[in-house]
Amino acid sequence: MRKLPVKTHGIPLRGVQRVISLALLANEWESGLQFMVLVDSIGDAGILEQLVDGGLKNIVVCVPYHLDWHSHIMPTVACDTRALELHDVVVLNLEKQELLVVYRNSDMHHAIQLTNRCNSFCLMCSQPPTTHDDQWLIDEALLVAAHINDSPSAIGLSGGEPLLLGPRLREVIDAYATRLPSTRIEILTNGRLLADEVLATHLLTGISDKVSWLVPLYGHADFLHDFVVQSVGAFEQTIGGLLTLQSYGQAIQLRIVLIEPTLRVLPELCRFIGRNLPFVREVALMGCEPIGFALANRDACKTDLADWHAELIEAANALRRANVPYIFMNTPLCALPQSLWAHAHQSISDWKRSFREECSICVVKTNCSGLFSWHNHNWTPTVIKAIDGKACNEEVH
Amino acid sequence: MFFPFYARRLPDSHFLAVSRSGDYVFLGEEDLHKLTTAPQELELDRLAELQSKFFLGSPTRQGSLRLLASKLLAKRETILNGPSLHLIVLTLQCAHTCRYCQVSRSLGSLGHSMEPATLAAACEMIFESPSKSITVEFQGGDTLLRFDLIKFAIEKITERNLQEKRHLRFVVSSTLHQLDERMCDFFKQHNVYLSTSIDGPARLHNKNRPTPTRDSYERTINGINMARDLISPDVVSALMTTTRDSLLIPEEIVDEYVHLGFREIFLRPLSVYGFARRNFEHLGYSLSEFSLFYERAFEHILQINREGGDFREVMASVFLNKILSPFDGGFVDLQSPTGAGLAALAYNYDGFVYPSDEARMLAEMGDTSFRLGAIGETLDALLNSEVQQNLIRASTSPRIPGCDQCAYNSYCGPDPISAKNQAGDIFAAVHLTDHCRRNMWLFDFLFMKLHQQEKWFLDLAFQWANPTPEREFCCA
Repeated sequence: MRKLPVKTHGIPLRGVQRVISLALLANEWESGLQFMVLVDSIGDAGILEQLVDGGLKNIVVCVPYHLDWHSHIMPTVACDTRALELHDVVVLNLEKQELLVVYRNSDMHHAIQLTNRCNSFCLMCSQPPTTHDDQWLIDEALLVAAHINDSPSAIGLSGGEPLLLGPRLREVIDAYATRLPSTRIEILTNGRLLADEVLATHLLTGISDKVSWLVPLYGHADFLHDFVVQSVGAFEQTIGGLLTLQSYGQAIQLRIVLIEPTLRVLPELCRFIGRNLPFVREVALMGCEPIGFALANRDACKTDLADWHAELIEAANALRRANVPYIFMNTPLCALPQSLWAHAHQSISDWKRSFREECSICVVKTNCSGLFSWHNHNWTPTVIKAIDGKACNEEVH
Repeated sequence: MFFPFYARRLPDSHFLAVSRSGDYVFLGEEDLHKLTTAPQELELDRLAELQSKFFLGSPTRQGSLRLLASKLLAKRETILNGPSLHLIVLTLQCAHTCRYCQVSRSLGSLGHSMEPATLAAACEMIFESPSKSITVEFQGGDTLLRFDLIKFAIEKITERNLQEKRHLRFVVSSTLHQLDERMCDFFKQHNVYLSTSIDGPARLHNKNRPTPTRDSYERTINGINMARDLISPDVVSALMTTTRDSLLIPEEIVDEYVHLGFREIFLRPLSVYGFARRNFEHLGYSLSEFSLFYERAFEHILQINREGGDFREVMASVFLNKILSPFDGGFVDLQSPTGAGLAALAYNYDGFVYPSDEARMLAEMGDTSFRLGAIGETLDALLNSEVQQNLIRASTSPRIPGCDQCAYNSYCGPDPISAKNQAGDIFAAVHLTDHCRRNMWLFDFLFMKLHQQEKWFLDLAFQWANPTPEREFCCA
């Protein structure tokens, strides 16, 4: 999530706002929403003050630092306004004097975090869970839905573990489905609690057909999967959850993060999927993000994918034979055998993506996922190297 | 704890084990022993594999048990969803005097066609099946001799389906000798597939299938070409019957199919019904003779595919579907209990309903014991008839001696109707039937191929194993 340092004046509470210009205000203002109006001159700020003075509510003014100005009658945020875009949905964190951009329309990928809590403790978790009550995130997510002003092609609802919201998850899903009727809603969940029939019935009966479920599976036997997610019984629950989703006709993407314990069993795991879970819409094979628990479990999580090409190819063969579509995510092309390039997606969110110096002369850079911007610590998915046109042709022939 | 499974030593002396879910594994003797006595001593990768294939498990593993249940249910789909294949035997009239033909009668013979009122009742009866997809296949004799009846039935069924909204498919089995433009127009309009017979090159075909003018092959080819021109390039499929004369020319027969533009061949052994039984000395052969023929043809087909062709063998595809796919291809013959009656019904010209094509052929030979009832009775009455209940009893493999301990019992099932034909009793010892011996041989053959783990063969095997709903498995 993008974070921006800010200086606030007169703002009493953390809140959600839609970023807007003075020109758009007349058209978009609604009584239930909060607006952060970007102004870049004292003159425009004055116009806004007159409107507020005349009774206009739910307004925060946002000015660039260099104006060195704050209003006495309306809450004011000073920041680097060039880093904001119209219709961004933002949250102000007052204690940290930070502005979080939780939604930006021009991004290719959107995700809303519903909780920091989780019932698994995956070896490579990119967002290590916390234990404290964060129900306020649910209310905030509902507000974010209301403040989004367009309909992106897809939006992710993630955590932590969204199923820990219990019945309230349905409230959030319905809010997004109503507000964004043409948007695909992707729920990132371990699926474990869907093995509970009562909760499953509540969540899934009559659910919007725009919803799909992104569920990780890290092994074909309980002791393999349970080790990766560091939770006994998780495999059986996730399998039960997947069958529940199938019985409700839900679209499922299975996700496998490529770390040593999963790569070791990848071909057999993919054969298991082909035999037993052929109803999934696709399987996503994902490079590991070097962040969070992955840094602490470096031995298991830091791998050079070039050492695992045979397993990757065999796994892809197994899925292809079973007619299960598959994609690679977060895997730069130089980390994959060329025969799998066609399945590689540019999956890394814009604000997280980076390239190395070596990449500048690479002939396939435009099709490449790139790296996570936090790929450092001497940690990349493989030894990053430019693909030159000659090598490319050689491999084809 | 270990779950029930069955092991078998293949002719190449490797052990194959198949679990209740139909998942299989090749094992050494040592691992086989550990599996049953001390699974915790198995190497971890092996343990994980055996657990994921339902050889090992525990009643506390709730997710896996649900998975097993849903897999077993998917395998039973064909027999649980109501009859989906409806054969209507319109007439026994035929201009051919085929050496292996089961039933046909000459053109002049009277009383061997279905009465329109009976046909109308059959068309209504079809819709009593709860099955969402329904295939109606017209059988003979030579069906196009009674195009009037085909047209009557297709129009009637199509009209009723406006309300029923089933996924409907029509197949007309015929020599195609009488095919003309008017028929093609009608077939095109109603999305009808054609199924014909080609036994191989002209000299073999014409020998097997004599007509007074000795040009059966040429006239069928003309019919195929006309149908492809006027209806669609994929409208015709063909079936072959293997006779003694076929045994020496497997490659030539396959090449004939490729040359004629077909994308598959069904290397069918002779079914010894009807006239074939009387002519067995001239036409028949042993299983080992057939298997030599089949293996040669099969290798030839593999070679065609290796060279970039796209050509499949249907019988292997059906078996591979059972072994490799989680989706049942719907083949009526390899079900337990038998698909005869539960998945297929034959409405015969004589006004009675039989559980399969073979059953109505036996009736033609004088054994009417498989009559489920008359056309016009309720489907419920037919499926609850003593005849049907006995068919089910005789074909529920976990309860059949010989099947109960067989490694292949989750892929296969007894065929009580052929047992009756062969041994006079639907409860005849299964392992002595031709049906069982042939299936055991083909499963062994395919598993030995799979065990070799050649990448290109596995690719092909999985491709063939995927169910293709547009394929037709019945006789012509």
